[in-house]
Amino acid sequence: MTDPSAAVLDTLTTTEAGTASRHEAGFDGTLVVLSRRNVAAGVVSLELGPRSGEGEGGGEGEGEPLPAWRPGAHIDVVLPTGITRQYSLCGPAGHTSRWRIAVLREPDGRGGSQWIHDNVHEGTELRVRGPRNNFPLRPAARYLFVGGGIGITPLLPMIAEAEAAGADWSLLYGGRTHASMAFLPELEPYGERVDVRPQDQHGLPDLAGFLGDPDPSALVYCCGPAGLIDAVEARCASWPAGSLNVERFAAVTGQQPVGGENNPPIEVELRASGMTLTVPPQLSVLKAVEHAGVPVLSSCEEGICGSCETAVIEGEIDHRDSLLTEDERAAGDTMLICVSRARGGRLVLDL
Amino acid sequence: MSQHVRNGWYLGAWSHEIGRTLKQRWITDMPVCFYRLPDQTVTAVEDRCPHRKYPLSLGHLDDEGTLQCDYHGYRFDGRGACVGVAEQTDRPKAALRRFPLVERDGAIWIWPGDPELADESLLPDTSWLNDPGWTHVHGVVPLKARHLLLLENLLDLTHETFLHPTSIGNAAVAATPIDVTVDGDRVGFSRRMTGIEAPPFYEKSCGLTSPVDRWQDGEFHPPGVFILHIRVAATGTEEPEGFHMRVLYGMTPARGNETHDFYALGRDYLIDDEELTTFQHEQQLAVMQEDVDALEAQELMYATDPGGTAESSIKSDLAALRGRRSLMKMLAREQHGQPGQQGDRTARPTESV
Repeated sequence: MTDPSAAVLDTLTTTEAGTASRHEAGFDGTLVVLSRRNVAAGVVSLELGPRSGEGEGGGEGEGEPLPAWRPGAHIDVVLPTGITRQYSLCGPAGHTSRWRIAVLREPDGRGGSQWIHDNVHEGTELRVRGPRNNFPLRPAARYLFVGGGIGITPLLPMIAEAEAAGADWSLLYGGRTHASMAFLPELEPYGERVDVRPQDQHGLPDLAGFLGDPDPSALVYCCGPAGLIDAVEARCASWPAGSLNVERFAAVTGQQPVGGENNPPIEVELRASGMTLTVPPQLSVLKAVEHAGVPVLSSCEEGICGSCETAVIEGEIDHRDSLLTEDERAAGDTMLICVSRARGGRLVLDL
Repeated sequence: MSQHVRNGWYLGAWSHEIGRTLKQRWITDMPVCFYRLPDQTVTAVEDRCPHRKYPLSLGHLDDEGTLQCDYHGYRFDGRGACVGVAEQTDRPKAALRRFPLVERDGAIWIWPGDPELADESLLPDTSWLNDPGWTHVHGVVPLKARHLLLLENLLDLTHETFLHPTSIGNAAVAATPIDVTVDGDRVGFSRRMTGIEAPPFYEKSCGLTSPVDRWQDGEFHPPGVFILHIRVAATGTEEPEGFHMRVLYGMTPARGNETHDFYALGRDYLIDDEELTTFQHEQQLAVMQEDVDALEAQELMYATDPGGTAESSIKSDLAALRGRRSLMKMLAREQHGQPGQQGDRTARPTESV
């Protein structure tokens, strides 16, 4: 599970001429579900691989090798419904014969995880792209891993690598209940390096106690719900720059900042900055602008607060906010770039 | 330049507050002197003598309605023109700035901005304050917090759950989403709570036991008026049955980050029950004190905030954020020399949260 916008940011590059473009990389094809297991309440793990016997190297259930990957990598799963979802690879690091992902059923989500839970079984074919990595594990003498719920997935191969490298590491793993926390048996052999903290027994995890004082020799890796990441970020504010590495989930409730299927890429010219960006479907205009290095105020990122309101010089706006009135929308000269997009595929902003 | 919208009607005083004595009240950073002329019409002038700026409200009003400055004796007639000064026979060239006023339903409304733009049709309907089928209590509470904080307090009644848990709030308020409507600069919201536990104030005020239905329909008439229409009834009771109440707030910026918090609480049942009236007035003031304490604590935090960090906002803020936006737009228009307050247009729901 990874934030789709973060995944796309990986492929956004700003050139000297000021244009950013999206490009695909890695594997793009059909894989078959080799196994499906319930690994916690509401969580299934799926192992994906080439169909047995396909290709010249086929046999023993193994097809052509899959691209190599490093801890922190994720793949896109393109569902037949047209929805694309990102899932972290959580099998043994670097495994190229089969990829393992874990999917949490999110009843309030946009339907991707539900579809997988309800329709994917051993033998189901899925279109897969990737892998890509926005969350690479960098060398360090000491690692502090913080995982919340399904956010444990990218950390599993990281832990394996840290352990293999002989690094000093520890994991704080929080979840709502013991039963909802996946992969506990795989973590058990690590003994006291792992601190499992189900919230119904222990309350919120003790981040202060776990992280301790800033340690220049340590790197912090965190993945989980936004509240946890925000708390870890706050706690790490005094750490050396670059100590903290996070991967955020997509928002799963409320108004979605980025649309789904009917969300074509748009071109956004930032007139004052002399830059043109291509904003892919999974990315908000706000995120693309921020990524291009143009400072913009923002706060709620849900189209409510109006902090990111931006003057529009040209282009037809597809308003998706909750704040502007019909008159303000009709005037077409301002938009909330955290959620709104373009109808005509192109916007010129006063940024 | 004042941070406040001036081209708009504000509640300046309740009628009973103004008589044949001079009353100073700061409004949108201007000192205003209110008084009545012999024909009982109310007058408001800038409370600075044009001679040496002495407050006229420290002066005298004679039986003919002539206002005299008690520093050097400048005298002004009921239209604000200088009619003489003690030290010389010829009349100094001086006149007082007079503010457009409307006295209606026991309230005195003042337009502190451009008199040419003062438009009575922009006043909200307050006829219930003068309706024989209704009774009400009213007053004014000083608030050492900026007008905007009071406005956002009233436009987001979710706070009742947390700030007023022993009187008018319970979990149902925060748990029930609102519909927000925008009509020109005016912002409305409605919240329909059905089959909920009766908060103590309504249990006692209406003799109801749970479950009840409770409706809140709020309307913000910028820049400074908020009216809440309340309906409480046994669950399943249709309109127009049930108990009706209305609360009017006049949010009038005073000086700096201080505000006059005018209030009126009305009801359309048991209107002769004085015990109930007393109870409701005490409750109203107790609830307002909780708000005043909270807003003054909040004011200190805003006033000392070094900035640099954004506020967080959630869906229930939408009406308050719309209200804030209306005020900002009015202020921007005013600073560009356009009329501040815009009138009614066809009401139309725009957002649902």
